Parts: sequence; structure tokens; C-alpha cells
Amino acid sequence: MNVNFHISPELGSLLVVLLPFAGFLYQLIAGKQARSGLIPSLAMLVSGLISVAFVFPAIWNKTPFSVELEWFTIGQYSLGFGLHLNNLSVLMQLVVCLIALPVHFYSKHYMKNDPGIHRYWTFLSLFCTAMLGLTIASNLFMMYVFWELIGFASYLLIGFWFDRPAAVQANKKAFIINRIGDLGFLLGIAAVFTTYGSLNLLDLFGPDGLVRGTSPLSEGWATFTGCCFLLAAMAKSAQFPLHVWLPDAMEGPTSVSSLIHAATMVAAGVFLLSSIFPIFNQTVLLLTAIIGCFTALIAALFALTQHDIKKILAFSTVSQLGYMIASIGMGAWDAAMFHLTTHAFFKCLLFLGAGAIIHELAHFKSNSGLNFDPQNIQFMGGLRRFMPKTFLLMTVAALALAGFPLTSGFLSKDAILVHSFQWAQQAGGGTLLIPLTLSVVGVLTAFYIGRMIIKVFMGRFHFQKETEQTPIQEATSGMLLPMGFLALGSLAIGFSLHPLSYHQAYILTGLSAATIATESSLIPIVLPIILTLSAAAGWWLGWYWYIRQRYPFSESNKWIAWSANQGYLNQAYERAITNSTLRLSTFTYWIDRNLVDGLVHLSVWFTRQLAFTSAWIDRYLVDGLVNTTAALAYQIGHLLRGVQNGRLQNYLGFAFTILLIGIVYLIFK
Amino acid sequence: MILVGIEFIINAAILNLVAFSRYDRAEYGGQIFALFAIVLAAAAVAVGLAIILSVYRKHQTINPDKITDLRD
Amino acid sequence: MGVLSLLIFLPLLAIVVILLTPGRGAHTLKYTALTTTLIQFLIAGYLLLNYQTGTPSNFADISGYQYVEQLSWIRLDLGTLGLLEIDYFIGVDGISLPLLALSALVILMAIGASWNVTKSRKGYFALLMLLNLAVMGIFSALDFFLFYIFYEVMLFPLYFLIGIWGGARREYAAIKFFIYTLLGSVFMLLIIVGLYFSVQNPYTGGHTFNMLYMMNPENYVPGSFFDWVGNSYQVFGIPARMIGFIVLFIAFAIKIPVVPLHTWLPDAHVEAPTPVSIILAGILLKIGGYGIIRICIGIFPDSMAAANWWLGLIGVVSIVYGALNALAQSDLKRMIAYSSVSHMGFVLLGIASLTAEGLSGALFQMVSHGFLSAALFFLVGVLYDRVHDRYIYNFRGLANLMPQYTAYIAIAFFASLGLPGFSAFIGEAFVIIGAFNAETLQTGIPRWMAIFGSLGILLSAVYFLWTLQRMFFGTTRLKGGDRWGSALSDLSPREKLVLTPALGLALLLGVFPSLLFNMMNGTVLNLLDLISPFIFG
Repeated sequence: MNVNFHISPELGSLLVVLLPFAGFLYQLIAGKQARSGLIPSLAMLVSGLISVAFVFPAIWNKTPFSVELEWFTIGQYSLGFGLHLNNLSVLMQLVVCLIALPVHFYSKHYMKNDPGIHRYWTFLSLFCTAMLGLTIASNLFMMYVFWELIGFASYLLIGFWFDRPAAVQANKKAFIINRIGDLGFLLGIAAVFTTYGSLNLLDLFGPDGLVRGTSPLSEGWATFTGCCFLLAAMAKSAQFPLHVWLPDAMEGPTSVSSLIHAATMVAAGVFLLSSIFPIFNQTVLLLTAIIGCFTALIAALFALTQHDIKKILAFSTVSQLGYMIASIGMGAWDAAMFHLTTHAFFKCLLFLGAGAIIHELAHFKSNSGLNFDPQNIQFMGGLRRFMPKTFLLMTVAALALAGFPLTSGFLSKDAILVHSFQWAQQAGGGTLLIPLTLSVVGVLTAFYIGRMIIKVFMGRFHFQKETEQTPIQEATSGMLLPMGFLALGSLAIGFSLHPLSYHQAYILTGLSAATIATESSLIPIVLPIILTLSAAAGWWLGWYWYIRQRYPFSESNKWIAWSANQGYLNQAYERAITNSTLRLSTFTYWIDRNLVDGLVHLSVWFTRQLAFTSAWIDRYLVDGLVNTTAALAYQIGHLLRGVQNGRLQNYLGFAFTILLIGIVYLIFK
Repeated sequence: MILVGIEFIINAAILNLVAFSRYDRAEYGGQIFALFAIVLAAAAVAVGLAIILSVYRKHQTINPDKITDLRD
Repeated sequence: MGVLSLLIFLPLLAIVVILLTPGRGAHTLKYTALTTTLIQFLIAGYLLLNYQTGTPSNFADISGYQYVEQLSWIRLDLGTLGLLEIDYFIGVDGISLPLLALSALVILMAIGASWNVTKSRKGYFALLMLLNLAVMGIFSALDFFLFYIFYEVMLFPLYFLIGIWGGARREYAAIKFFIYTLLGSVFMLLIIVGLYFSVQNPYTGGHTFNMLYMMNPENYVPGSFFDWVGNSYQVFGIPARMIGFIVLFIAFAIKIPVVPLHTWLPDAHVEAPTPVSIILAGILLKIGGYGIIRICIGIFPDSMAAANWWLGLIGVVSIVYGALNALAQSDLKRMIAYSSVSHMGFVLLGIASLTAEGLSGALFQMVSHGFLSAALFFLVGVLYDRVHDRYIYNFRGLANLMPQYTAYIAIAFFASLGLPGFSAFIGEAFVIIGAFNAETLQTGIPRWMAIFGSLGILLSAVYFLWTLQRMFFGTTRLKGGDRWGSALSDLSPREKLVLTPALGLALLLGVFPSLLFNMMNGTVLNLLDLISPFIFG
């Protein structure tokens, strides 16, 4: 191998985006023939290699790189397109590549016999292109383009099985809620453009950036701008109340869920907020923290009682995203990005594992002829005997999610939680509620993921008898290898030399947020211990309840029902928003038809009445005058015709009389 | 009756002619003209009688009030 | 004879040929029309390629226009009223040339959609060619009288095309459309005459209809009805120039259409046959926007600067109201008609913002909406041709039966709702950015108009995606059952040939907007130079 082979980071980044795009084009053109997904996977592999070998090392902790070419000029403003490579963007790019690669290989086995697999590869490549494009975009407008495109790819992938009504309802819901966020993004872009006159990331946030200190606009508009971008992140990263699309998005294939709805697309919101962090003022940051915290709590509460394995993981994602968003709100966007990275690995692994389980159970279902939902954990149990490797890998991921020591999740969660306590100490007031809530959520997280692992893998399989005829297979190596790769990323070793202290984590030392100086040195030691013990207690409790069958709550417990039904939020939205919008639109149409068009018809009626009146006038008055004149003439004639009575003597008499009169007249003249 | 009336008119005119011939001793014009008028009257009567006979043949009456073909 | 005149009057030749062709020569009719439109399309392409961008010029001056032809046409001695001076004066600039090219493309698409017309082909194609002529003339005319002639000529074939070849309520729709538009334009004639008597040709001293002279305040006779300075004429208490602006605005507002003058559009679009709907949506709506820019802003910039708040308000109302109405529809064609109202509301908002971004965005949106709505109506027409039904709830799961059609319509829907990568996104995004920026530049548009206007982006996603989900995805279930199922064949090569250029162009302009912006920027900046003295004064 020629050691001198070198690709510059800018060329490398360009290739990283263009290779999946080439894969997309190939799939589009080749159509139904391209079922193997070889080209997209290969493209992704090369992209990953370039990112790991040439882009990441060249930019991380070295000089950032930014270039922009002119895209088009509108009026006098010239909008460009280009690259903006700094620690944050290359980290995100690396994460996307490292997650997308195993998912590509996993998909090949998971989607093997699907008739529409050529479409799957097309859409997957489109997504990767758009996501990677988002990471390197050089200005806000370009980011927005890719931002919407990842929403579009998500739409296509959620609705992949488009003949399923639930899937097409879900993808419509996802896109519309994402559109709300897009609205925020667009208005935010407009606000930034108005305020600073530029959309270029370097101009705005670089070392001599325009964004610093207070905004030239009033405080209100600065808050508005921040809220717009917050809205964008809330929609994309599924924060309350815009989180409802994510559980429904589980209708898509599980490999899609793992890539898009666990690791990358939903993380785009966190990435956005980190990229434009200087633009937020204190009001917006506090709001962000509150929203993130609340989301974390409520999603964890919902996750406690779900029976669908993917929904548990979906709510878990929402909850962890809440952690990240809250962390940004508290100023520690570096910790948020760290958690994003670690979460990407173990959450993706959890989803891939869930996919393997569902896959094997679906096989079991068709072989045994039983009728049950392969995604429902109530029909699982004891699977560790049938799928030991899956069990092992998923447990590693679960431990990471729960935040047990020696996992990467421990480090990142620790970073966020400790920082949150320090932040609350400085911010004072009621802000202590936030770190406390986040800690409680940490315990809940441990519980629900423990519940999942226990109910799926421990105990006795629900259909144990039938497995004698039709055993359940372990997942194929094609699925296990990618999962293994991700499991490596769930261990602490990859992220920090010191597995128990996050201060030396590479990511944190690379990204530098203005973190608060460590005030109390007690919390960093006490907190992890408390959390770990609580997590362990939570797992023991789960084992006690589910395996030892000492479940304390009754079936019809109101709180359980509230949680299982996602807080009845979907129904509330249906009633409050969907139905009222539809009713508003029907009402608007009624107005249009009857009032606005009614005005037109009224004017028509009025004109016609005018015309009838005018015709009446014409016929009876004007023409009447003509007829009267004619009648008058006739009557006079009629009167005078009496003279012509045919009597000779009368004629002579008249003639004589007239003559006489004439003579008399002449005499007297 | 109309014919009688006409005869009366002509006779009246003849009478006047004869009466005023008194002032024309030299040429006796009035009396000469009266003789002409008498002849003419006779002719007129003849023609009138012929007309009356024709009218009677057509309309079966000689009452002028009943002969109104010329009316409107 | 100039190239532009050739573009305008080539259909006249086609009309003669069509009328002389015997009735049985159906092929000849179709191919004559097709050839003529193809040649026009090529000429338009030639005009586009040879357009000089970047030359400094003036909106009110003849130097700002290219391919100019000016011939003295009518010189009639009116005794005490002077010499009637009407010129054959045509030319294009960065605003009208893209619209001209758009018209050529859309009419070509309409011919493609007319391929299977059976009733009275001769009259149909002759009328279509007459419409073609009129439309090309409107965009090129720079003499107001000439503009008016073409404007009226455009109405005439449309009345017959809708009224004879249309759907169930065609007579109602045709007469409604005709009288509504005519109402606007007859008052416009009053203003034209008023302007005639107020303007003086600087070279000959007589009155003139020349639009460019009307844009220059120095050409106005002092003390005339539309004079710019010291004008004390009033009609119902409103200053004369404002009345002139309002009347002209109403005439073009009916065409755009804006709420509440829009109710002719759903009926006309729905009852018209597919090719006529394509032309209505693709071209005729743009005439309204073009008229406002060229005439209302060009000739009455002072009134525009004073009244743009109202225009912005009407634009925002159109956006939201049109979108809500579209959401309530159960007839697919009517839904797309209302979505046109909503998208043209963006155009009005962009124009009202009087910023470079807003105006450019509005113009871009006009061009983009032109071929996108043409594609949408064509797609509806495809469905209607198959089963003669457009009711949304009668269809379900069409993707299983017509996968290619689903792909095309999904792309068309996503392009229309403003997905980046397609042209509508650029137009709408910059309208919002421009409208938002307007408050900073103090042109009179408050920020909340941009915020409310952006709701249109959300609502368009709602109704388009809901329709996609209702009609195309899910399990297949048709009202007509198997009979429909066998009739619903996928897209034919002819249909794909018509659709692909339109959608491809949407993609091309979405990725390379500079193709259009380079042409427009000069003229837009000229226009802003024209109006800027009145914004801050």
C-alpha cells in the first residue's frame, strides 16, 4: 500500500457525501435489478474509510477548514454552497459513517426477501447522502436543504411498506410534524439573515463571528430567533410535545429505525443546536433545558409500560434525546454531543438486536403456525437460551444505556448529570429541579431497559412447548457482526483512557464548551455511585417483579394505562389539532362556497334583477310610450275618419262650408 | 230630391239672369244667357236622370244616405 | 421581422392551416399544433440563451429591454383630441422572458395533453392556437393598448374552450370566468384611457399608450388626471393615482387570483378539460402577477409603496385561506385548484415585500408554479381519463396498481409543497425571507405577515400528504372495483414524455436556481431602483 496516498480533508468530505449519492443514483437507474445493495454498501464503506482515515484525523483538534462557492445570487445577496469542517462537524460525520456502515450490512440480511428491497437501498442511500451533507454544510440555508431532505428520506423509509395503513399514517404524521420544525428553521434563517445579513456558518460563528454578545435586534426578536431554531430541533429530535411521530415511526423496518430514528436523524436537532449555540440567549437556553428535561421524564414514564419492544426503544430514544437537549440548554453542548455519540452506538445496537429477535420470532411464527405479534415482549422470555450471542450484545448495550460503569454510556451520562448539578448550583432558584429530574430519569431508564432485557431474555419462553418442533434460531452472523462492532462502541475503552472519569474523554477534550468550573468536588464522586446503585436496584426490582412473578400492580391500574397509552397524547392531538384543523378547513370551504362565492352569486342575482327591471321598464314604460303615441295617432285618425261616411251630400256640405269659411276669411283678411 | 234641388238652383240662377237683364236694354244679354241656361238645365236633368237610373240599378235605392260606398 | 414577433404570430399561421384542413385530417391538426408549439419552444430557448445579463439599465427605459421591436401602428387624427398614437411596441426583460419561455413549455404540455381530443378538433386546436398567440403577446407587449388587445383576445378562446369541451357544469364555469375577468379588464380600459390623456410622448408631444413613457414622471402633462406631483383630483375621496392603482390592481388581482376575488378559479379549473386547466394554471395566473409588477409597480410606484401593506395582507390571507380550503376538498382537481390560490398568495406576499429577495422569490415561484401546477393538473387528467372520476375517497392504494404514476405524483406533490431540491422551495423560502427582512428595510411589511405566511408551507404539506396517503397508499380499494382496476393502467409513454420535462425542470431549477436568477436579478434591481424613492419618502 502506497503510504503517500493522501486525500485532503475537503476532497474527502466531498467524497464522503457524493459516494452515497452515487449509490442512490445507481439504485434509481438500475431499478428492480439492484436488489443486492452491493453498490450502496460499498459506497458507504469507502465513505467510512475516507472519513476515518482522511477527514477525521486531519481536522480533529487541528485547524478547521471552511470554503464556500457561489451557488446563486438573489438581488444583491450571494448565497453559497460549500464545506465547513470543524471538530463538531467531522465528529458528526464520523458518527454517521460508523453507524450507517453496520446498518447497511445488517440490512442485507434483515431485508433479504423483501420484494421492494431495491427501493430500500435507494432510499437508504438518499438518507445517507442527505445526513452527511447536513454535517458538512457551510451555511444555514444549505443545512436547511439537507435537513428537509433527511425528513423526506425518513418519510420514504417509514412508509416503506406502503400497503400497510399504519405505516402510511405514520410517515404522513412524521413528515407533517417535522414540517412544523422546518417552519421554525426557515423563520430562524429569515431572522438570522435580517439580523446579521449572512447565513454562512463561518461568518456567523467563527472566531471573528458576527454572533457575539447581544443581538442587534431587540431582546424579543433574539428570543424569537432562538425559539425558531429550538422548534426545529424539537420536531426533528422528537421533544415534547412534538415527539409523537417517533413511536409511530417504528412502523418502518427495524434497520431503518436503528439508523434514522435512534442514531442519526433524530440527533440532527442536537447537532443543529450545538452548531449555532452562540445564537441563543439565556431565556431560550432555560426553555431548552426545561423542555429537554420534561421530555426525558415523560418519555421514560411512557417507556415503563410499553409492550412493543420497538416502542420501548423509541421512547428510550426520546428520553435520551431529552437528556441531550437539556444538556445543551444548560450550556454543555459538548457533553450533549458526547452523549449523542455514545447513544448512537448502544441505541443502534439495541435496535439491531430487537430486529434480530423480531426477525427470528417472525420465522418461528410462520413455521409454527401460531398467531401472535412478534414485537410484543409479553410473548417472549427465556430467549437467552435460543439466542445467546444476541443476548450478550444486547445486555452490553442495555448496561450502557442504564449507565453502568465501564460502559461508554456511563461516561456520557455522568458528564451531563454532573454538569447539570453544577449548573443548577450556579443558576440557583428552582433550577435544581432539572438535575434532580434527570437523575430520577436515569433510574427510570435503568428500570425500563432492565425490564426489557429481563422480560425478553430471562425466565421462560411463552411458547416453550412449540419450540420443540420449531426451534428459534440464533441471528445469522450477517446480523451479529455489525452488532458486535457497535458493541465495541458501547464500551468505555473506545472513548476514554480512564473508564470511570469522563474528564479525559477524547470527545469532551476536543469540543470545548464554556463549561462551568467545577465547584463542588463531591458531586462527581457521589452522583455516579448513587446512580449506579439505583440502577442495580432497578434491575433487581425488575427481576423480582417479572421473573419471580411478584408484580404488584393490577392489570387495570390507571397509571399503568396512562403510561401505556402514551399519556393519551395522540388522542388529545387528534381531537385538539387534527379534528379542529379539519373542521376549520371545512368551515373555510363553507365560507368560500356560500359567502365569498355567495357574494359573486349575489351580485349576479342583483345584476339579473336589475336586468329584469330594466327589461320591464323598457317593455312597459319606454315601449309603452311608443305604443301610446301610436294609439293616440290611431284614435285621432279614428275620430277624423267619421268624416268619410260615403254620403255625397255630406261631402258637398263640408266642401261648401269650408269654402264659405275661406271666403269669409278672405273678406276679413 | 237632389236633382230637384239642382233644378231649383239652376232655375233660381235663370230667374236672376232674367231679372237683371232689365239693366241690359241694348244687348238683352241676360235673357239670351237665360235661354242657354234653360237648355243646359234640361241637359243636366237628362244626365242626372240617367245617373239616377244607373245608381238605382246598382244600389236599389236613390236615398243618398244609403249610398256609402265611398266611406272609410 | 424580429424573433419576438415570430414567436407571437407563428400560431396565426397554424390557425390558417388548421382552418383550411379538411375535417377528417385529425392527424394534421394535431401535428400542426405540435409543430408550431415546438418551434415556439425552440425560439423561446433561443431567446433565453441569447439574453444579455448584467448590462446596466433602467426599468423605465427602453435600454432595459431586449429583442425590442417598435413600429408605428395606428396614427389616427382625432381632430381636437390630437393624433391617436398606438405603436406595435414589444420587448422582453428579465421578468417577462422567463414567463414567455414558461408559456411556450406549458402550451407544449397542453398540446401533449390534447392528443386524444375527439370533439370538434378543428375548432379546438384553432382556439388553442389563438390562446397561444394572445399569451405570447401579453408578455411581450410594451404598449398599453397592444397589451389590452392581447389581454382581451386571450379571454375569447378560453370561454369557448371551457364552455364546449369542459365538464358537467362547463357553461356556468365558462361564463363565470369570462364575466369576472372582463369586469376587471373593462375598468382597466378606463384607466388606460386616463393614462393616455395624462402622458405625453417626449419626442412627438402627443399623447401615447407607450408603457415605458408612462413609467417616467417627467412625461406627464402637468395638471392631468394621473399626474405625479400636485395632483388634486379625487374620486370618492381617494387620490386619482391611488384609484388608478387600485383599479388596475383589482383587474390583475382577479387573475392571480387573490382572495376574495378567486371564486372563479375552482369552477373554471375543475370544469375545464385537462389541457385548458394546464394552461389556466400554468400561464394565466402568472399574467396577474406579471401585470402587477410591470404595470402597477412600474406605472404607479408611489401608490404601490403606500399600499403594499394591504397587498401583503391579502397575500397572507390568500396563502392560509387557500390552503385551508384545499384541505377541505374531496375532489382532487378542486384541491389542486385551491392549492394554486395558496401558492400564488406567496407571489403576492413576495411582491408586496418590495425587497430584492421577496420579489425574486415571487418571480421564481411564478415560474416554478407554472410547470409544477401544469404537471399536477396533467396527472389529475391522467386519472380522470382512465375512470372519469376524481373523487378522492373513491380511490385507495393506487400505488399497487400504478406504481410509476404514484412515483410521478409523489414527486410532483413533494415538489409543490416546497421540498428542497425542487424549485418551489427556493421561491417560497425567499418570499418568506424577503417578507421577514422587509421590516428591517422598512418597506412597510410587518414581520408577522412572514410568520403567518409560512403557515402555508405547513398546510401544503398537510393536504398534499393526506391526499397521498388517502389515495395512493394502503390496501387497494376502488369504488369501481375490478372494472376500474383494469382501466387504471400505468402511465403511457406519451404521458411520461409530457411529465418528465416539467418535473425535471423543477429539479434543475431547484438545484441550479442561478439559471433563472441571473436573468432576473438585473431587472429586479432596476425595479427596486424605480420604487425606492417612494418607499422612504
